[in-house]
Amino acid sequence: MSLFAALQVSASGMQAERTRAETLVENMANAETTRTPQGGPYKRKDVVFSSDLQESPFSAVFQNELATGVAVSDVTEDNSAPEMRYLPNHPDANSEGYVAFPKMNPAEDMADLLNTTRSYQANIAAMTAVKDMITHSIDLLR
Amino acid sequence: MLEAMTANLEKYMDLLSARQKLSASNIANADTPGYKTKDIDFQHEFMSMVNGEQPQTIDAQGLSEKPDGNNVNVDREARMLAENAMRFNVASTLLRGQINSVKEAITGGASS
Amino acid sequence: MAPITSLTIPSMPSLGGITAPAASSTGSAFQSVLGDAISKVENFQNNADNSVNNFLSGEGEELHKVALATQQADLSFQLFMQVRNKVVTAYNQVMQMQV
Repeated sequence: MSLFAALQVSASGMQAERTRAETLVENMANAETTRTPQGGPYKRKDVVFSSDLQESPFSAVFQNELATGVAVSDVTEDNSAPEMRYLPNHPDANSEGYVAFPKMNPAEDMADLLNTTRSYQANIAAMTAVKDMITHSIDLLR
Repeated sequence: MLEAMTANLEKYMDLLSARQKLSASNIANADTPGYKTKDIDFQHEFMSMVNGEQPQTIDAQGLSEKPDGNNVNVDREARMLAENAMRFNVASTLLRGQINSVKEAITGGASS
Repeated sequence: MAPITSLTIPSMPSLGGITAPAASSTGSAFQSVLGDAISKVENFQNNADNSVNNFLSGEGEELHKVALATQQADLSFQLFMQVRNKVVTAYNQVMQMQV
Protein backbone atom coordinates (compact mmCIF):
# COMPACT_ATOMS: atom_id res chain seq x y z
CA MET A 1 0.00 0.00 0.00
CA SER A 2 1.92 2.93 -1.26
CA LEU A 3 0.99 6.58 -1.55
CA PHE A 4 1.95 6.37 -5.19
CA ALA A 5 -1.24 4.39 -5.69
CA ALA A 6 -3.17 7.52 -4.77
CA LEU A 7 -1.47 9.35 -7.63
CA GLN A 8 -2.67 6.64 -9.97
CA VAL A 9 -6.20 7.00 -8.63
CA SER A 10 -6.24 10.75 -9.14
CA ALA A 11 -4.85 10.30 -12.63
CA SER A 12 -7.69 7.92 -13.45
CA GLY A 13 -10.16 10.50 -12.15
CA MET A 14 -8.65 13.18 -14.36
CA GLN A 15 -8.72 10.87 -17.36
CA ALA A 16 -12.36 9.98 -16.84
CA GLU A 17 -13.40 13.61 -16.38
CA ARG A 18 -11.43 14.57 -19.47
CA THR A 19 -13.25 11.91 -21.49
CA ARG A 20 -16.57 13.19 -20.17
CA ALA A 21 -15.64 16.78 -21.10
CA GLU A 22 -14.68 15.67 -24.60
CA THR A 23 -18.00 13.89 -25.01
CA LEU A 24 -19.97 16.89 -23.80
CA VAL A 25 -18.06 19.21 -26.10
CA GLU A 26 -18.69 16.84 -28.99
CA ASN A 27 -22.39 16.92 -28.17
CA MET A 28 -22.50 20.69 -28.10
CA ALA A 29 -20.50 21.05 -31.32
CA ASN A 30 -22.85 18.66 -33.12
CA ALA A 31 -26.08 20.19 -31.88
CA GLU A 32 -27.22 20.94 -35.40
CA THR A 33 -25.66 18.03 -37.28
CA THR A 34 -28.29 16.44 -39.47
CA ARG A 35 -26.00 14.26 -41.53
CA THR A 36 -23.61 11.61 -40.13
CA PRO A 37 -21.62 8.80 -41.83
CA GLN A 38 -24.04 6.32 -40.29
CA GLY A 39 -26.96 8.20 -41.79
CA GLY A 40 -29.45 10.25 -39.84
CA PRO A 41 -28.81 13.03 -37.37
CA TYR A 42 -26.11 13.08 -34.71
CA LYS A 43 -26.95 11.02 -31.64
CA ARG A 44 -26.16 12.58 -28.30
CA LYS A 45 -23.48 10.64 -26.35
CA ASP A 46 -23.23 10.00 -22.65
CA VAL A 47 -20.41 8.50 -20.60
CA VAL A 48 -20.89 5.96 -17.83
CA PHE A 49 -18.40 5.94 -14.96
CA SER A 50 -17.59 2.90 -12.91
CA SER A 51 -15.05 2.37 -10.18
CA ASP A 52 -12.27 -0.16 -10.56
CA LEU A 53 -9.00 -1.17 -8.96
CA GLN A 54 -5.95 0.57 -10.27
CA GLU A 55 -2.93 -1.00 -11.87
CA SER A 56 0.30 0.84 -11.36
CA PRO A 57 2.91 0.98 -14.12
CA PHE A 58 5.57 0.22 -11.49
CA SER A 59 4.07 -2.91 -10.06
CA ALA A 60 2.68 -6.00 -11.61
CA VAL A 61 -0.25 -6.36 -9.27
CA PHE A 62 -3.44 -4.42 -8.81
CA GLN A 63 -3.45 -2.06 -5.90
CA ASN A 64 -5.62 -3.04 -2.98
CA GLU A 65 -9.05 -1.74 -2.16
CA LEU A 66 -7.72 1.42 -0.60
CA ALA A 67 -7.01 2.72 -4.10
CA THR A 68 -10.22 2.65 -6.09
CA GLY A 69 -9.98 4.56 -9.29
CA VAL A 70 -12.61 5.34 -11.85
CA ALA A 71 -12.89 4.44 -15.50
CA VAL A 72 -15.27 5.20 -18.30
CA SER A 73 -16.95 1.86 -18.75
CA ASP A 74 -19.32 2.79 -21.51
CA VAL A 75 -20.21 5.52 -23.96
CA THR A 76 -23.93 5.29 -24.62
CA GLU A 77 -25.75 6.89 -27.47
CA ASP A 78 -29.09 8.51 -27.07
CA ASN A 79 -31.41 6.49 -29.24
CA SER A 80 -34.59 8.40 -28.55
CA ALA A 81 -36.55 9.85 -31.44
CA PRO A 82 -34.85 12.82 -33.08
CA GLU A 83 -36.35 16.26 -33.08
CA MET A 84 -38.20 16.95 -36.30
CA ARG A 85 -38.34 20.47 -37.68
CA TYR A 86 -40.27 21.62 -40.65
CA LEU A 87 -37.76 22.88 -43.27
CA PRO A 88 -38.99 21.79 -46.71
CA ASN A 89 -36.09 23.39 -48.58
CA HIS A 90 -33.38 21.71 -46.51
CA PRO A 91 -31.29 19.20 -48.51
CA ASP A 92 -31.88 16.57 -45.78
CA ALA A 93 -35.66 17.04 -45.67
CA ASN A 94 -37.66 13.86 -45.89
CA SER A 95 -40.72 13.37 -48.06
CA GLU A 96 -42.93 15.45 -45.76
CA GLY A 97 -40.45 18.30 -45.55
CA TYR A 98 -39.27 17.51 -42.01
CA VAL A 99 -35.59 17.43 -41.12
CA ALA A 100 -34.36 15.22 -38.26
CA PHE A 101 -32.22 17.22 -35.81
CA PRO A 102 -30.31 15.77 -32.87
CA LYS A 103 -32.22 15.71 -29.62
CA MET A 104 -30.11 18.03 -27.50
CA ASN A 105 -30.25 19.40 -24.02
CA PRO A 106 -27.72 22.24 -24.04
CA ALA A 107 -28.51 23.52 -20.56
CA GLU A 108 -27.88 20.11 -19.08
CA ASP A 109 -24.69 19.71 -21.09
CA MET A 110 -23.36 23.09 -19.90
CA ALA A 111 -24.16 22.22 -16.28
CA ASP A 112 -22.42 18.86 -16.72
CA LEU A 113 -19.41 20.58 -18.22
CA LEU A 114 -19.11 22.90 -15.21
CA ASN A 115 -19.40 19.91 -12.91
CA THR A 116 -16.73 18.08 -14.86
CA THR A 117 -14.39 21.04 -14.57
CA ARG A 118 -14.88 21.17 -10.83
CA SER A 119 -14.24 17.45 -10.46
CA TYR A 120 -11.13 17.70 -12.62
CA GLN A 121 -9.79 20.46 -10.37
CA ALA A 122 -10.62 18.44 -7.27
CA ASN A 123 -8.58 15.55 -8.66
CA ILE A 124 -5.67 17.90 -9.32
CA ALA A 125 -5.90 19.14 -5.73
CA ALA A 126 -5.81 15.55 -4.48
CA MET A 127 -2.73 14.83 -6.57
CA THR A 128 -0.96 17.92 -5.23
CA ALA A 129 -1.74 17.01 -1.62
CA VAL A 130 -0.45 13.48 -2.11
CA LYS A 131 2.68 14.71 -3.83
CA ASP A 132 3.32 16.94 -0.81
CA MET A 133 3.05 14.00 1.54
CA ILE A 134 5.44 11.94 -0.55
CA THR A 135 7.93 14.82 -0.52
CA HIS A 136 7.74 15.00 3.27
CA SER A 137 8.37 11.28 3.46
CA ILE A 138 11.48 11.73 1.36
CA ASP A 139 12.60 14.46 3.75
CA LEU A 140 12.77 11.83 6.48
CA LEU A 141 15.71 10.35 4.67
CA ARG A 142 17.80 13.47 4.99
CA MET B 1 14.85 1.27 21.93
CA LEU B 2 14.90 2.70 18.47
CA GLU B 3 11.75 0.83 17.46
CA ALA B 4 9.64 1.79 20.45
CA MET B 5 10.52 5.42 19.93
CA THR B 6 9.22 5.57 16.39
CA ALA B 7 6.49 2.92 16.44
CA ASN B 8 3.56 5.19 17.31
CA LEU B 9 4.48 7.90 14.86
CA GLU B 10 5.01 5.32 12.15
CA LYS B 11 1.55 3.84 12.80
CA TYR B 12 0.04 7.32 12.68
CA MET B 13 1.68 8.03 9.34
CA ASP B 14 0.49 4.67 7.98
CA LEU B 15 -3.10 5.49 8.90
CA LEU B 16 -2.83 8.97 7.44
CA SER B 17 -1.51 7.54 4.16
CA ALA B 18 -4.37 5.07 4.02
CA ARG B 19 -6.87 7.83 4.68
CA GLN B 20 -5.34 10.03 1.99
CA LYS B 21 -5.56 7.21 -0.52
CA LEU B 22 -9.24 6.74 0.30
CA SER B 23 -9.80 10.47 -0.09
CA ALA B 24 -8.18 10.42 -3.52
CA SER B 25 -10.36 7.44 -4.48
CA ASN B 26 -13.47 9.25 -3.25
CA ILE B 27 -12.65 12.32 -5.28
CA ALA B 28 -11.90 10.31 -8.42
CA ASN B 29 -15.27 8.57 -8.01
CA ALA B 30 -17.23 11.75 -7.27
CA ASP B 31 -19.40 11.13 -10.33
CA THR B 32 -19.60 7.35 -10.30
CA PRO B 33 -23.18 6.19 -9.83
CA GLY B 34 -23.73 4.10 -6.72
CA TYR B 35 -20.31 4.78 -5.21
CA LYS B 36 -20.27 5.18 -1.41
CA THR B 37 -17.69 7.34 0.34
CA LYS B 38 -15.01 5.25 2.05
CA ASP B 39 -13.13 6.07 5.25
CA ILE B 40 -11.35 4.35 8.15
CA ASP B 41 -12.22 4.36 11.84
CA PHE B 42 -9.13 6.30 12.87
CA GLN B 43 -9.24 5.99 16.66
CA HIS B 44 -10.05 2.33 16.61
CA GLU B 45 -7.38 1.51 14.06
CA PHE B 46 -4.73 3.57 15.85
CA MET B 47 -5.33 1.71 19.10
CA SER B 48 -5.48 -1.73 17.62
CA MET B 49 -3.50 -1.82 14.39
CA VAL B 50 -0.59 -4.22 14.23
CA ASN B 51 2.31 -2.76 12.34
CA GLY B 52 2.31 -3.75 8.68
CA GLU B 53 -1.37 -4.64 8.50
CA GLN B 54 -3.85 -2.76 6.42
CA PRO B 55 -6.62 -0.78 8.11
CA GLN B 56 -10.19 -1.73 7.40
CA THR B 57 -12.30 0.56 5.29
CA ILE B 58 -15.76 1.53 6.43
CA ASP B 59 -18.53 3.50 4.80
CA ALA B 60 -18.58 7.10 5.91
CA GLN B 61 -21.66 8.10 7.86
CA GLY B 62 -23.85 11.15 7.70
CA LEU B 63 -23.61 11.85 3.99
CA SER B 64 -26.58 12.65 1.80
CA GLU B 65 -27.14 10.62 -1.34
CA LYS B 66 -27.61 11.91 -4.85
CA PRO B 67 -30.32 10.39 -7.06
CA ASP B 68 -27.82 8.06 -8.77
CA GLY B 69 -26.70 6.53 -5.45
CA ASN B 70 -23.41 8.42 -5.22
CA ASN B 71 -22.79 10.08 -1.84
CA VAL B 72 -19.40 11.72 -2.31
CA ASN B 73 -19.16 15.22 -0.87
CA VAL B 74 -16.27 16.96 -2.65
CA ASP B 75 -15.98 19.62 0.06
CA ARG B 76 -15.58 17.00 2.75
CA GLU B 77 -12.93 15.26 0.68
CA ALA B 78 -11.08 18.54 0.09
CA ARG B 79 -11.02 19.10 3.85
CA MET B 80 -9.75 15.57 4.45
CA LEU B 81 -6.98 16.09 1.90
CA ALA B 82 -5.78 19.26 3.59
CA GLU B 83 -6.01 17.87 7.12
CA ASN B 84 -4.30 14.57 6.29
CA ALA B 85 -1.48 16.37 4.53
CA MET B 86 -0.91 18.72 7.45
CA ARG B 87 -1.01 15.98 10.06
CA PHE B 88 1.40 13.92 7.98
CA ASN B 89 3.67 16.95 7.87
CA VAL B 90 3.54 17.25 11.66
CA ALA B 91 4.28 13.56 12.15
CA SER B 92 7.22 13.53 9.76
CA THR B 93 8.69 16.65 11.37
CA LEU B 94 8.38 15.10 14.84
CA LEU B 95 9.96 11.92 13.56
CA ARG B 96 12.84 13.76 12.01
CA GLY B 97 13.36 15.57 15.28
CA GLN B 98 13.55 12.30 17.17
CA ILE B 99 15.98 10.80 14.70
CA ASN B 100 18.19 13.87 14.92
CA SER B 101 18.14 13.76 18.72
CA VAL B 102 19.31 10.17 18.76
CA LYS B 103 21.96 10.98 16.20
CA GLU B 104 23.16 13.86 18.39
CA ALA B 105 23.26 11.58 21.39
CA ILE B 106 25.31 9.01 19.54
CA THR B 107 27.80 11.30 17.90
CA GLY B 108 27.78 14.11 20.47
CA GLY B 109 30.22 12.42 22.82
CA ALA B 110 32.41 11.04 20.03
CA SER B 111 35.34 13.34 20.64
CA SER B 112 37.30 10.75 22.59
CA MET C 1 22.08 7.42 1.69
CA ALA C 2 22.91 3.88 0.64
CA PRO C 3 22.05 1.11 3.09
CA ILE C 4 25.05 -0.93 4.23
CA THR C 5 24.76 -4.39 2.82
CA SER C 6 27.33 -6.24 4.88
CA LEU C 7 28.94 -5.86 8.23
CA THR C 8 32.63 -6.66 8.54
CA ILE C 9 34.03 -6.23 12.00
CA PRO C 10 37.24 -8.22 11.88
CA SER C 11 38.52 -6.97 15.22
CA MET C 12 35.65 -8.39 17.22
CA PRO C 13 36.64 -12.07 17.44
CA SER C 14 40.21 -11.26 18.44
CA LEU C 15 38.98 -8.93 21.17
CA GLY C 16 36.84 -11.64 22.60
CA GLY C 17 39.69 -14.12 22.36
CA ILE C 18 42.17 -11.95 24.24
CA THR C 19 39.92 -11.06 27.13
CA ALA C 20 38.90 -14.68 27.65
CA PRO C 21 42.04 -15.93 29.43
CA ALA C 22 42.21 -12.74 31.55
CA ALA C 23 38.80 -13.21 33.17
CA SER C 24 36.83 -16.00 31.59
CA SER C 25 33.42 -15.45 33.22
CA THR C 26 33.28 -11.71 32.54
CA GLY C 27 34.87 -12.34 29.12
CA SER C 28 32.12 -14.67 27.97
CA ALA C 29 29.44 -12.34 29.33
CA PHE C 30 31.05 -9.55 27.36
CA GLN C 31 31.16 -11.74 24.29
CA SER C 32 27.48 -12.57 24.56
CA VAL C 33 26.60 -8.91 24.99
CA LEU C 34 28.63 -8.14 21.89
CA GLY C 35 27.03 -11.01 20.02
CA ASP C 36 23.60 -9.68 20.96
CA ALA C 37 24.49 -6.22 19.80
CA ILE C 38 25.83 -7.49 16.48
CA SER C 39 22.73 -9.53 15.77
CA LYS C 40 20.47 -6.59 16.66
CA VAL C 41 22.34 -4.33 14.29
CA GLU C 42 22.15 -7.01 11.63
CA ASN C 43 18.38 -7.27 12.20
CA PHE C 44 17.95 -3.58 11.60
CA GLN C 45 20.09 -3.86 8.47
CA ASN C 46 18.01 -6.75 7.15
CA ASN C 47 14.78 -4.89 7.86
CA ALA C 48 16.09 -1.91 5.97
CA ASP C 49 17.22 -4.08 3.05
CA ASN C 50 13.84 -5.78 2.84
CA SER C 51 12.03 -2.50 3.03
CA VAL C 52 14.09 -0.99 0.25
CA ASN C 53 13.68 -4.08 -1.92
CA ASN C 54 9.93 -4.07 -1.44
CA PHE C 55 9.78 -0.44 -2.39
CA LEU C 56 11.96 -0.86 -5.48
CA SER C 57 10.08 -3.88 -6.78
CA GLY C 58 6.83 -1.97 -6.62
CA GLU C 59 5.22 -4.17 -4.00
CA GLY C 60 3.70 -1.14 -2.41
CA GLU C 61 5.93 -0.40 0.58
CA GLU C 62 5.19 3.00 2.05
CA LEU C 63 7.94 5.53 1.51
CA HIS C 64 8.03 6.70 5.11
CA LYS C 65 8.45 3.10 6.27
CA VAL C 66 11.49 2.75 4.02
CA ALA C 67 12.89 6.03 5.33
CA LEU C 68 12.37 4.97 8.94
CA ALA C 69 13.83 1.52 8.46
CA THR C 70 16.98 2.87 6.83
CA GLN C 71 17.36 5.57 9.48
CA GLN C 72 17.01 3.00 12.25
CA ALA C 73 19.62 0.78 10.62
CA ASP C 74 21.93 3.73 10.21
CA LEU C 75 21.51 4.87 13.82
CA SER C 76 21.97 1.44 15.31
CA PHE C 77 25.09 0.93 13.24
CA GLN C 78 26.49 4.31 14.26
CA LEU C 79 25.79 3.53 17.90
CA PHE C 80 27.48 0.20 17.52
CA MET C 81 30.54 1.77 15.89
CA GLN C 82 30.82 4.34 18.66
CA VAL C 83 30.67 1.64 21.31
CA ARG C 84 33.25 -0.38 19.42
CA ASN C 85 35.54 2.64 19.21
CA LYS C 86 35.25 3.22 22.93
CA VAL C 87 35.98 -0.41 23.68
CA VAL C 88 39.01 -0.45 21.40
CA THR C 89 40.30 2.79 22.93
CA ALA C 90 39.83 1.43 26.44
CA TYR C 91 41.59 -1.76 25.47
CA ASN C 92 44.50 0.19 23.98
CA GLN C 93 44.77 2.27 27.14
CA VAL C 94 44.85 -0.85 29.26
CA MET C 95 47.52 -2.40 27.05
CA GLN C 96 49.65 0.72 27.28
CA MET C 97 49.60 0.80 31.05
CA GLN C 98 52.97 0.31 32.62
CA VAL C 99 52.90 -2.79 34.76
